[in-house]
Amino acid sequence: MAREESLRATKRITRSASSAPTPEKKSGFKTKKTADLCSPSLTDLVYGDPISLDALLSTFPGRKAQILELIKLLGHLNSPTLPLFIYGVPSTGKTSIILQLFRHLNRPFVYSSFRTCYNPRSFFESVLNQLLLHHRDASNGYSSAKRCDRPSDFVDLLRDALTSLIKRLKGSVKKSMPPQLALPVDGHMIYLIFDHLELVREWGKSSSVLHFLFNLYDNLNIPEVGFIFLSNLAPDMFCSNMSYVEQIPVYFPSYSEDDIRQIFLRNQENQKLYSSFLDVVLRPLSRITRRLDELSPTFASLYMQYCKPISGPDTVLNEDMKRRLYSKLNPHITSACNETFRVLDYAAPEAETSTKFEMKACKRKLESSKKSDELDFHLSTSAKYLLISAFLASRNQATLDASLFDSSGGPDGRKRRRKVSQKVMAQQETAEDDLHTKGPGSFPLERLLAIFQCLSSVAEGSPDEDGGSDDWLGIGGEGAVVTTDILLQISSLSNVNFIVRGGSCPLEGSTRYKCMVSEDLALKVARSLKFPLAKYIYRR
Amino acid sequence: MEEATHFVLHRAASSENRDRKSARRKIDNAATADYTELNSESKDGLCQQFQRESFEIVWSKIENSFKAILKNINRDAFNEIHSWVLESFKEIKSLGSVSSLSEAIRPIPIAIDAASKCLHAGLVFTRNIEFVDDLMTFEDLAEHLRSQGCHVANLSSLEFSADIGTSGCIRSLLKQFLSSSFDAVDISILSSWYFSQCNRDTPIVVILNDLERCCGHVLSDFIIMLSEWVVKIPVILIIGVATTLDAPGEVLHFKALQCLRLCKFILQSPVERMNAVVETVLLKNCSGFSISHKVAVFLKNYFNNRDGTLSSLIRALKIACAQHFSTEPLSCMLKVFDEQETFHGEQFDFQHQVISACEWTIPSTRGKMDEEGIQKLVNTLTELKKMQGRWSVAVLCLYEAAKCRQVNLLDLLCEALDPDLLASGPLGCHATSTKGRYISQAIQNVRELSEAMFVNLIKSWEKHTIAIPEIHGKVKDLQYILKFENYKRRKVESPIMSKKRSQNQANVIGGSNAFNETAVNFLECLINDFMQPLECVASHEIVCFKNVEKLKAALAGDPRRQIQVDLLGSRRILQCSCCPRDGGILCPSMQDTSIMYILSQEHGDLINLYDWYQSFKSILLPPSEGKQKTKQTKKKKNANEDEELSEVTIQARFCRAVRELQITGLLRMQRKRRPDHLQRVAFGV
Repeated sequence: MAREESLRATKRITRSASSAPTPEKKSGFKTKKTADLCSPSLTDLVYGDPISLDALLSTFPGRKAQILELIKLLGHLNSPTLPLFIYGVPSTGKTSIILQLFRHLNRPFVYSSFRTCYNPRSFFESVLNQLLLHHRDASNGYSSAKRCDRPSDFVDLLRDALTSLIKRLKGSVKKSMPPQLALPVDGHMIYLIFDHLELVREWGKSSSVLHFLFNLYDNLNIPEVGFIFLSNLAPDMFCSNMSYVEQIPVYFPSYSEDDIRQIFLRNQENQKLYSSFLDVVLRPLSRITRRLDELSPTFASLYMQYCKPISGPDTVLNEDMKRRLYSKLNPHITSACNETFRVLDYAAPEAETSTKFEMKACKRKLESSKKSDELDFHLSTSAKYLLISAFLASRNQATLDASLFDSSGGPDGRKRRRKVSQKVMAQQETAEDDLHTKGPGSFPLERLLAIFQCLSSVAEGSPDEDGGSDDWLGIGGEGAVVTTDILLQISSLSNVNFIVRGGSCPLEGSTRYKCMVSEDLALKVARSLKFPLAKYIYRR
Repeated sequence: MEEATHFVLHRAASSENRDRKSARRKIDNAATADYTELNSESKDGLCQQFQRESFEIVWSKIENSFKAILKNINRDAFNEIHSWVLESFKEIKSLGSVSSLSEAIRPIPIAIDAASKCLHAGLVFTRNIEFVDDLMTFEDLAEHLRSQGCHVANLSSLEFSADIGTSGCIRSLLKQFLSSSFDAVDISILSSWYFSQCNRDTPIVVILNDLERCCGHVLSDFIIMLSEWVVKIPVILIIGVATTLDAPGEVLHFKALQCLRLCKFILQSPVERMNAVVETVLLKNCSGFSISHKVAVFLKNYFNNRDGTLSSLIRALKIACAQHFSTEPLSCMLKVFDEQETFHGEQFDFQHQVISACEWTIPSTRGKMDEEGIQKLVNTLTELKKMQGRWSVAVLCLYEAAKCRQVNLLDLLCEALDPDLLASGPLGCHATSTKGRYISQAIQNVRELSEAMFVNLIKSWEKHTIAIPEIHGKVKDLQYILKFENYKRRKVESPIMSKKRSQNQANVIGGSNAFNETAVNFLECLINDFMQPLECVASHEIVCFKNVEKLKAALAGDPRRQIQVDLLGSRRILQCSCCPRDGGILCPSMQDTSIMYILSQEHGDLINLYDWYQSFKSILLPPSEGKQKTKQTKKKKNANEDEELSEVTIQARFCRAVRELQITGLLRMQRKRRPDHLQRVAFGV
C-alpha cells in the first residue's frame, strides 16, 4: 500500500501540472495556484492518472477474478450496463478496487459514500456538486451548487446535470480537437458509485430512500449512466420484493490465508524476515479475524516486538534464530488475540518514542497493580453508597431485601444465606451464567433509596467510621437523608452511565433504573469504604 | 469556577445569597463614601457598605490566587498533550497530503490503507464523575493549545445527542472554525476550509468534554467519518473520560474503536486540586481570612461525604467569607491585613473613623473602642498576623512530611485547628488514637524516611519557611547536619556499598536514625512553639469564621421543606390581626394556598379533587351556613348579596392555589388513569 501511495503521489504532481491549461503554465506560480483553486475541470471526474491492468492486478493479490469480472461487466467504452451490486464483508477491497479500476479505465465517475453523507440532502447535494463540477469554498460562501431536499427535485436536477455533462463529453469526442485540449477522460458514460449502502437502512425514512436509489436507473432512463452500488450486505438484505431492474451482483469473498500473506508481504522491506514473522502470526490470528483493517495494526505492533531481539540489519535468519524469535513473541500473540477481539486501546497508548514507551509501560504496570484495590476516580462517600445500593438493587431480587436489610442490620439473613449457598455450590455456576445472559435487573427509584438508607445507617453504626464528626452525612440527622443532594448524586451517577434508565414498568408506570457497574468496580468501591459488600450479594 | 456552578441544581442555595448581595450592592453603590459626616441614619448603611467593600476586596484576593493555582495545576499534563498532538500531526502528515482543492473536497477516500484511516485520540482522565469541575479544565486546555497555534474546537455531549445525529457535531465544528453557520452542513466544507488555509502545518484539535454523556451511536459515526477524512483534515481528538479505561469500550461502537489510536493522559484528581485550593486560601494567607476547627471539619465532611465537587467547596468558602464579613464587624480590618506589617497611616485613620463611629466591639476584649482600645486592637492584629504566618508555615511543613502517606491537607488542617490539640499532651506517642492522628502520622513518617527523600523534604521545608527567619534558621541547621552525616557515612561505608542492596539499605536506615530523630525534634518543636490553634488566641474573631450552623443552613438550602413549614404556619409568619393566632381552626381570611395545603394533609397520597374543593368551599363560605343549606346557596347564589362569594370566584381561587402548590412541587397531576385525583408529592416536614 505504501508503494502504491508513493506511486500515486508522484503521479499526482504530474497531473496537477497537466491539469492546468497550457496558457497559464507560462504565467507565474500564483495564478496557476488560483486557477487550480477556482476552476474545476473534467479531470475531477476521474481518479488520478490511468494505470495498466497489470499494475492493477498486482496491487490487489487474490482479487484477479473479481477485477476481470468487473471489467467484463462494465464492458467496452461507451457500452451501457445494468446496475452493478458489489457486496462482501468489510475490508475485502471493494471500494479500493472499484476506484483503482476506474483509474485504469479512465472513465468519468461520481463517488459518494453514505458514511460522509448522513442524510438525503447532503447526499443529493454532494452528487450534484460533483456532476456540476462545483466546489464549495470561501468564494461561494461554502454553498452547494443547487439546493435540493426532495428526491423528486433530485431526479430533475440530476437529469439536467447528467444530460449536459454527457453532451459535453460527446461533443468533445466528435470534434477533432488538438490533443492537448482534448478532454482527459475516456468515453461518454458516467458512472455513479454509491458506497456503504447498508448505512441507508438506518436512516429514518430508510425504505423510501433505498427504493428511490434502486429505482433511479429506471427513473432517469439515460443509457449513458451506469450505477454501481457497494455494500457490506448481500442484496437480499435490502427490500428485494420490489420490482427493480435486475442488478448484477458481484461478490467479494473474504481473503484466504494465502491472500492475506501476499497482501502483507507486498510492501515489506525485509521480505524474508516478514515472511517468517507471518509464519508465526498468521495462523492464530486469522482464525479470529480475516479483516485486513483489524489485522494490520496488530501485525504492526507485533512485528515491532518480533524485530526487537534482532540487533543489526545483517543478522542471519536461520532456524535457530527463528525459534528464538518465536519464543519471545509467543506471549504477545495470545494477548494480541484477545485484544483484536475486544477493545484495542490497551495496545494503543504509545505514540511516543521507544524510551518513553518503556517508561509508560512500567508506569502502567505500577498503576495496574495499584488499581486492583483502589478506585481511580473520585466519588464522594454518599455517591459510593448509592452506587453500592444500586448495584445490590440490580443484582439481588427485590424479595430478598427484607431479609438482608431487616431491623437487626442483616447478620441473621447472612447466616441463612451462607448455609444455603454451601448446599448448592454446584448450581452457582449456572446461576452466574444466567446472570450474564439476563444482565442487571431493573429497580424503581424508591427501592434504591430504601437500600441506600439501610446501608448508610449500617455504616453510621460501624465503629471504624471516620471519627470526630457527629453525623457522617455532614448535614441533618436521619430524617433528612434523602435530600436534593442525593437525587443530584443519582443524576451524576447516571451521567457517567453507572445507573441507566431502563424501560418503565408496565404495571406501575414509573421509571425503572438499572445499574451497569461491573462486580469488580462495585467491590472496589465497597473496599474503599470498608463495606462488606460480598455479604450482601445473593448467590444461589 | 463560579460561573460553572450555575449548571447544577444544588448550587442554587448560594445564588439566592448572591442575588441579595448584588441587590444590596446596587443600592449602596449610589451612596458616596463620605465618612466624615455621619448621622445615625446613614451609619447603618455605611457599615454595610464598608463590610461589603472589604468582603469584595478580600474575596477577590482569594479568588485570584486560587484561580491562578487551578490554571497551573494541569500545566504539565497540558504540555504533554500538546507534544503528543504535534507528534500525531507529524504522523498524519506522513500519510500523504492533498494537492488540489478538488481532491480535498471530493468524497473519495484518499488512502484506503487501514493504517492511514486511524484517528489519533487522547483520552484525558479527569478522575471525577462530576463534570462541573472540568468545564473550565477543558476550556483551559483549549486555550493552551490555541496559544500553541493549533486550531481548536470544543464539543460537548449536547452535540452528540441521538435526535440531532451527526449533523449536530459537524455544524458545531464548522461554526467554531469558520465562525459562520450553514444551512446544509457537510464535512467537505471543513476540508475545503482547511485547504484554503495558507498555513497547513497546524493540526485541528477537537476536544470532547465528556465521553460518558455522549450518545455512543452518534459519536461512533462521527469518529468513523472523521477517520475517512483524516488525510484531508488532520483532526486529532481529545476525549475527556470521567471514570475508567473501560468507558470508551462501553460507549463506542467496535468499528469506531478500531479507527482510534488511543493515548492516555491523567489530570490532577479532585482531591489534589482541593489540597491546592485549601493551601492557597487557608494556609498561604493571601487574605488573612481563616476558619475555625468546627467549620473546617464541616467542610471536610461536606467535601468527602456529600458533594465532592471543588466548585461547591469554593462556594462554601465564599459563603463562609461573606457571612463572616456580614456578622463580624471588625472583620473589615482584614482588608488591609496583608498589605502592611503594622497598621498605620491614612488607611488606618479611615478605619479608625469608621470603627469609632459605629461603636463596634469584639467579644473577646469586651471593651469600648476608644483611642487606647484602637491602639490595642492594632497591636493585637499585628501580633495575630505574625502568629498566623508562623502557624501556617508549621502546618505546611507537617503537610510536606505527611504528603507521601497520602494525607489530605484538609484532614491535617482540621487537626491543626483543633483547640484541644495541645491540651491533650505530647503528640507523637499515641499514633493509634483518633486525636492527632494525621499529625502523628506525619511525625512517624519523618522517623522512617529514607535519606534521599529527606533531601527533597528539607528542600520543600526551606521553600516554605523562607519568610519566617526563626524557623528557616532551624531548617538550615538541619540541612547542615544532614550534609555532615552524609559525608561522614559515605566515608565510612563506601567499601560496603558494593555489597547486597538490601543489606545496604538496612545500614542506611540504621545510620540515619539519629538524623531522623533530629528532624522529628524539629517538627515537635514546631508544633509546640508555633502551632497554637487560632481559636486559643485573643481576638481571633476578627479573622476567624466560626458559625457552622449558619454555613450549614446556607449550604443545605432545603427550600421545599421551608415552603411546607411556612404554608402550614402562615399565621405565625404573617401575624395578621384578622386570623386567630392559635392554630387549628381554618378561617376564610387566611391565604388560599395555605388553607388548601392544610386541607390536603387530611388526604392520603391521592387527593380527590372534588372532596378537596368542597372542603375548601365550606371554609370560604361563612360557617353559619350549615351543610344542608349549601345546596340552597348554590341555587340562589345569583340572588345573594354582594359579599357572598360566587361559585366562579371560588373555583378560580381554588385553581390558582392548586397551580401554586404544583409549581412549588408539593403536588403532581395524576396521569390519564385518574383525572379527578391529584397526587401528593411531599410528605411530612
